[in-house]
Amino acid sequence: MRRRTQLGAAALAALLCALALAACGGNGGGDAQSGGDAPPSVLQDVIDRGQLRCGVKGSQPGFSYLEPDGSFSGFDVEFCKAIAAAVLDDPDAVQYISVASATRFELLAAREIDVLIRTTTVTAERDAGRGVDFAPTTFYTGQSFAVHADSGITSTADMNGVTICVQSATTTEQNLDDFFNELGYSYTPLGGEDQENQDAFVAGRCDAWTGDQSNLASRISQLPNRDEFRVINEIISKEPLAPGVLDYDNAWKDVITWVVYGLINAEELGVTQANAAAWAANPPSTAVARLLGAPFEGGDVADFDFQVDPQFIRRAVAAVGNYGEIYERTVAPVGIPRAGTLNALYTEGGILYAPPYR
Amino acid sequence: MVDRPQPADAGPPGRIVLPPHRARARRPFRDRARDWTRHNLFPSPFGALLTLACLAVLVALLCGIVWYVFFGADWGVVSANRWLLFAGGFPRDEEWRLWAGVGLVFLMIGVAYGLWSSFNRRDLLFLALASAFLIFLMAHGGAAIWSSIWFLAALGLMLAGYAIAVRVPRDDSPLRARANRIGVALLVLGLPVVLLILMAGGGAGTEDFDGFVLNVILAPVGIAGGLIVAIPLAIGRASSLKAISWTCTAYIELVRGAPLLGWLFVALFILEDVIGGSLLVRTMVVLAVFTGAYMAEYIRGGLQALPQGQDEAARAVGLSRRQTLQQIIMPQALRVSIPPLVGQAISIWKDTSLVSVILPMRELKGNADSAIAQTAFLADRIEVYVFVAVIFWIVAFTMSRISQRVERAQGVGER
Repeated sequence: MRRRTQLGAAALAALLCALALAACGGNGGGDAQSGGDAPPSVLQDVIDRGQLRCGVKGSQPGFSYLEPDGSFSGFDVEFCKAIAAAVLDDPDAVQYISVASATRFELLAAREIDVLIRTTTVTAERDAGRGVDFAPTTFYTGQSFAVHADSGITSTADMNGVTICVQSATTTEQNLDDFFNELGYSYTPLGGEDQENQDAFVAGRCDAWTGDQSNLASRISQLPNRDEFRVINEIISKEPLAPGVLDYDNAWKDVITWVVYGLINAEELGVTQANAAAWAANPPSTAVARLLGAPFEGGDVADFDFQVDPQFIRRAVAAVGNYGEIYERTVAPVGIPRAGTLNALYTEGGILYAPPYR
Repeated sequence: MVDRPQPADAGPPGRIVLPPHRARARRPFRDRARDWTRHNLFPSPFGALLTLACLAVLVALLCGIVWYVFFGADWGVVSANRWLLFAGGFPRDEEWRLWAGVGLVFLMIGVAYGLWSSFNRRDLLFLALASAFLIFLMAHGGAAIWSSIWFLAALGLMLAGYAIAVRVPRDDSPLRARANRIGVALLVLGLPVVLLILMAGGGAGTEDFDGFVLNVILAPVGIAGGLIVAIPLAIGRASSLKAISWTCTAYIELVRGAPLLGWLFVALFILEDVIGGSLLVRTMVVLAVFTGAYMAEYIRGGLQALPQGQDEAARAVGLSRRQTLQQIIMPQALRVSIPPLVGQAISIWKDTSLVSVILPMRELKGNADSAIAQTAFLADRIEVYVFVAVIFWIVAFTMSRISQRVERAQGVGER
């Protein structure tokens, strides 16, 4: 009896060792394989799969959130649809994945998502150190301040000695500290989460509330007494939000880059969701013809070897409209006006400037 | 079981009948009420003061809650997002699968209560209040007639199952034995059958589970899987063979040593290379492994609470090691461990809300975060989170009530 039990134990131990070895062996094999030849472009993966896996936040007003029926909406989501339309000719061929901020770059690196469009700020540290590459900025915002309209504060120059609500342990808090140190002003920080800050500010526990200008504007626009507050027209940090892709995948990054540029160029040239098809059939100018991949007098179809259909920008515009249409449909309704901000076209006082498509 | 004549006022089957010396003397209700009030509420001037103060606080609280629920809160965000919170990205065409699953789960609860226990007045009150709350919010503004009808149908199934099961006589008849077997089979097969209903024949894919549905799929898998992992671990840890007990101890200490958040990272990034499978399956594995480590310790506690004599006596009458474990030790140890095991089950139920913090999955709380990002509902955050909290509480409280019944049926703390 006793001997049999010992034999069983020995067998069990041996089995465990064998399993462990098999697991290690499996890993080793996998690593060797992936180190051998370069992985295929994500672009090819997306085409083969017939579906784009788009990493979004899923809980950001105006940018990405779920509708009551479970579908996704928002500014970031429109760009996912534009990319899917451009590559797969189907704006609905998207699997939206709600990614946490803590795992977003790792998910990109593990190829669990194809593109990250999650109100992610471009920084040097991320670009160089995180294995992520950024497409052109889709939305410019920056840190600003909301104040009480009757407080007499109109700019940061009036803010010596005030109490400021700020989200704890964020770059926002660091920016605030740096900025006031340089000014030589003193201030009293009042920390908390986004929502707590809003409540504290509305209740008058702090004189100013700092955060991304677009976030402040959208939250204040929802308040019943919105006229009692104002967002000052001054930005103390740069927060350019851009789609992220895996490093060293030029084919894929090029497509996304030119979908973004294409939507901006479409607005500049007057191409809209409504006229995209008609203009592709009968282009009003050579610039429009090139952008839409249509044949025109005195030139061939502009096919720059993007490894997708030459009419990919036409597909994207036909699916979601140009940049301005996307903005008006998604971000403007939550109270973030466009005119006069950085996100206006360069021809209208903003900094939105796309290189020519030729 | 000994044949015992049933007392005349036995009441519905399963109700505990107090022995005669503990039964209340049948004095007129008015006398009893007066004595009870004086003894419990107004025993002294100070006691009366305390009673009145508590009463004032309670009335204020109740008024506040009633005012909030019916007038203060705008439940539009909940009723508009009932589908999002319930199932989110689950394919809408396959909605019937969800309701079939809900119906089956409700039927299981009804049959189990009918066979082995009984609904008392408090259970029915809780059931009625919880259902009224859900339907009030779902059908707010007349929005969700069909959801309400489906929900009521599931509820009806539960009561029908109960009504049938409770009629099975509680004796040693073959009918009873067959009913018991059917009940056990329903409980054991319930989870796999629900998953089959949801996924088989072009149903949902593993990435389609979302919202509340994801919570109620992850938690039972974690709990059942945890128990399956825990029992051998607990026995192994108590083994006299060092190789086995050390292995089990190492497993328990390793798994308990890191928070669930950390193990969810493992499910996300490491487990794929080890066991493969979809993220949902990996998450289930991690939940079972994690829960198992805790449950193993609770069961070990149960094992150690047994007097050594139980083991020795069983061996002395000639039972083998295996028979001793199966028939003498484990039943008693498990019975002692019910309270902490249920505590762990409730804990893992609430922990399922962690998956949307780390994993690219959204459960009830994750979808609530999303609902208040909708342009129309940016200011209605409190209502959504109150709703989510109440849902979590209803399920946790249900588990707790069921465990109390199991404890009483098993006589925990009485033998």
